[in-house]
Amino acid sequence: MNRRGYGEFEMTFKIIPKSVLAEWFDALNRDYRVLGPKPKAGQFIFDEIQTIEDVDLEYPTTILPPKKVLLPTKEVLFSFDANESQFEPQIEAVPVIILGIHTCDMHAIALLDHVFSSGYPDQHYLARRTKTTLISIECLKPCSEHAFCKDTGTLSVTEEFDLHLTDLGEDYAVDIGSEKGELIMANAPGVREAEIDDYQRLETVMSQKWARFPYRLNFDVSELPSLLSVSYDSILWKILGTKCMGCGSCTVVCPTCYCFDVVDEIDFSLETGERIRVWDSCQLNMFATVADGHNFRESHGARVRHRFFRKGKYLASAYGQRGCVGCGRCAQACLAHITPIETFNELYRRQFLTVYEPRGTMP
Amino acid sequence: MASTIPKARIAFFDFTCCEGCQLAVADALQTHLDLLEAVEIVNFREVMSEKSDDYMIAFVEGSCTRMSDEARLKVIRENAQILVALGACAHIGGVNAIRTGLDIAGVRRYVYGEKAMFFETDSARPIDAVVPVDAYIPGCPIDLDEFVRTVKALLLGRIPILHDYPVCVECKMKENVCLYTIDKTCLGPITRAGCGAICPTFGVGCEGCRGLISNPNIRSLKEVFSENGFDEKTLMEKMKIFLSYQTMESES
Amino acid sequence: MTKTMKEALHSPSIYMPIPAWITNIRPMTKLEKLFTIELPNGMSLNHDPGQFVEVSVFGVGEAPISISSSPSRSDGSFELCVRRVGGLTNALHSLEIGSTIGIRGPFGRGFPIHRFHGKDMLFVPGGLGLAPLRSLIGQVLDERHNFGRIIILYGARHPSEQLFKDELAEWEARDDVELHLTVDRPDDDWKGNVGVITILFPKVQLHARNTVAVTVGPPVMYRFVLAELLAKGIPEGNIWLSLERRMKCGVGKCGHCQIHHIYTCQEGPSFSYAEIKHLKEAL
Repeated sequence: MNRRGYGEFEMTFKIIPKSVLAEWFDALNRDYRVLGPKPKAGQFIFDEIQTIEDVDLEYPTTILPPKKVLLPTKEVLFSFDANESQFEPQIEAVPVIILGIHTCDMHAIALLDHVFSSGYPDQHYLARRTKTTLISIECLKPCSEHAFCKDTGTLSVTEEFDLHLTDLGEDYAVDIGSEKGELIMANAPGVREAEIDDYQRLETVMSQKWARFPYRLNFDVSELPSLLSVSYDSILWKILGTKCMGCGSCTVVCPTCYCFDVVDEIDFSLETGERIRVWDSCQLNMFATVADGHNFRESHGARVRHRFFRKGKYLASAYGQRGCVGCGRCAQACLAHITPIETFNELYRRQFLTVYEPRGTMP
Repeated sequence: MASTIPKARIAFFDFTCCEGCQLAVADALQTHLDLLEAVEIVNFREVMSEKSDDYMIAFVEGSCTRMSDEARLKVIRENAQILVALGACAHIGGVNAIRTGLDIAGVRRYVYGEKAMFFETDSARPIDAVVPVDAYIPGCPIDLDEFVRTVKALLLGRIPILHDYPVCVECKMKENVCLYTIDKTCLGPITRAGCGAICPTFGVGCEGCRGLISNPNIRSLKEVFSENGFDEKTLMEKMKIFLSYQTMESES
Repeated sequence: MTKTMKEALHSPSIYMPIPAWITNIRPMTKLEKLFTIELPNGMSLNHDPGQFVEVSVFGVGEAPISISSSPSRSDGSFELCVRRVGGLTNALHSLEIGSTIGIRGPFGRGFPIHRFHGKDMLFVPGGLGLAPLRSLIGQVLDERHNFGRIIILYGARHPSEQLFKDELAEWEARDDVELHLTVDRPDDDWKGNVGVITILFPKVQLHARNTVAVTVGPPVMYRFVLAELLAKGIPEGNIWLSLERRMKCGVGKCGHCQIHHIYTCQEGPSFSYAEIKHLKEAL
């Protein structure tokens, strides 16, 4: 959304001391709803933060990605009065700052932006997106055993950021990505231009970071679409289908899953009500079922396959950007331990099996 | 459209149950005054003494546990245009169905002791084992919003369709920490959603009161139990509370 | 110029329908009714044969329904032939003339009728599949001079389930239309063919290379009909069909109608067999 002039190789950034963050946040809280990673029973969620003490910017990952802010689990699209044939769109937008977004999630937001602004632009998403300021943060160490951002190429920030922070110890280096970012930096106390010394500190931090992240795929991610293409009939989908409980957790926590259902809620007048958008999932029973009851993806295995194909291939074909950003949330959420890393690696391994395995027939 | 629909007469009946779902309805009536305006209640033992057999929608709470229940239930079915199973007992037999598969005479002696001969009891069945049912409001107790939504749908001439996905969906959307990560068990992955994952939200594992989804993967849940240090017996015991009748049915 | 639905879509929300009215209801069979729908202010739907609209019954929801009338006969209104199979269609069936519904669309890609010019047209509707195909058949008949032979093979389960009986009679009476009917189960009055739709194929001789076949029906029918069409030697790119999916949003977002990377509501629902034969979940 915010295009930044990289053309002239302008790499200026600012320095904000951690000691002034509290003051800065008090100022931001007056004009924005500020959300950031907050602890919840040993895990983290993006939640409203009042003071800097609420937030932990060194969080590993959150249960739900920041998509929940841009695409709420449930939202009113419009209200209707059937009797009067009147409809009132509800395009809600309050200024929001999301603080501490990991780079994988920034890639996911870039994809959502693409999906909801192309073809028929979705005014509800876009209104919210326009009012949202994204403050991302450089990941300096792996957040979970399931994350494979180094493989998926999502370990660097996308150009969608308004501000991008890098932890330099006592300070943050702040890269300003947009006018929105400039605006909130204007409120920040104690900010100064980076000096030679700061450039060196940043360079050290950045050069040390990459070695800490392992590759977890046994092949280059650019091979993923073609690997999936030859794996459509793999028996692995059947095996995963016997493990999958169809609970949809993987898609709920996925930062790039955006499928939804639309339902009506009506008052007792039976005339006025609201049309509501709610999250839906290709893993659930009714998702691909048509009016006469025919289900085009009846088995759990066919649904698991659809999800992985969507993440590894389909979205890339449709939008030029891979659906999986390597955040590892689906793996963490899956009680049956169906994970993208193991699934993709297993497909890769099976590709070289000399003995042909029986091909699974999937409805 | 709506003005042409006369005020629907609705009635409540109870069989073997704790009447908690009717209490929940009484609660809903207090917070949804528009509901009271949209319908006319003609039979509701919990809140009124008048009775009438002229009703359009009958809500039946409780499971069928005596032969004499069957005749009464059939009369209600005859009188009602729409019959709704209200709560877990009517929907899936409920806690009463724990006796499923046990020796009924023995159960009777265990419960009533010396006076067992004075009490009629049989296996506990959901009401659709006796009469056709048009709509279900699951849960122990029912979810108030679901009750209200169901009444609206019925007034619109629609039969509401239950969600056919597990509680996990709603639990994750609420951003709850999965109970399995804190050494607890939960039947969420096989239980029908619609409750807003209320138990897990308050740290209590799902007990399956809303019944099984249409294709529960119990085999996989067994593995989840054993990986987390609980044996298959624990799962089976947990499933007994609300899912005895459904489990028995799916096995037969 | 009348305002078109395309302009109406520049509304504040792509999910918000415009109000429309039911101006006529014609019962067709036990399960199907034909609804005539009028848009406000003489607005025209401007659809292509094979496209669909999203129909709202407020308080019940929204569902995709293919357009039954041909653009050439739209005349400020359009028709939807609706089978009573679920929440929304049940609700539609309970509505009366004058009731308000909501319409979004038209959506999707219809049949590319211009590419069919000069060809012999073979239409193979099965059951409710005649509803969307009627839109194309009507258009083809209205520009009859642009096409060669017109052959229609229509299969229904039972004589009482045949749709558009008056139009079937009209087509039967025309000497420039070859109509063959069959039913799976006859009744006492039925004198025609008995059996599934594929029994009609031996009855027609085709100039395969110059024929475009368009078939619409339930998923199970496609497998058998496609085999017949291919056996006749009709080129894969000249075989067209319409895929049914749960197109919830109509605008390529909600994901329900996705077949591999293809959103049926955008790239379909009309496809040539050549386009979808490699899509394993398509049929």
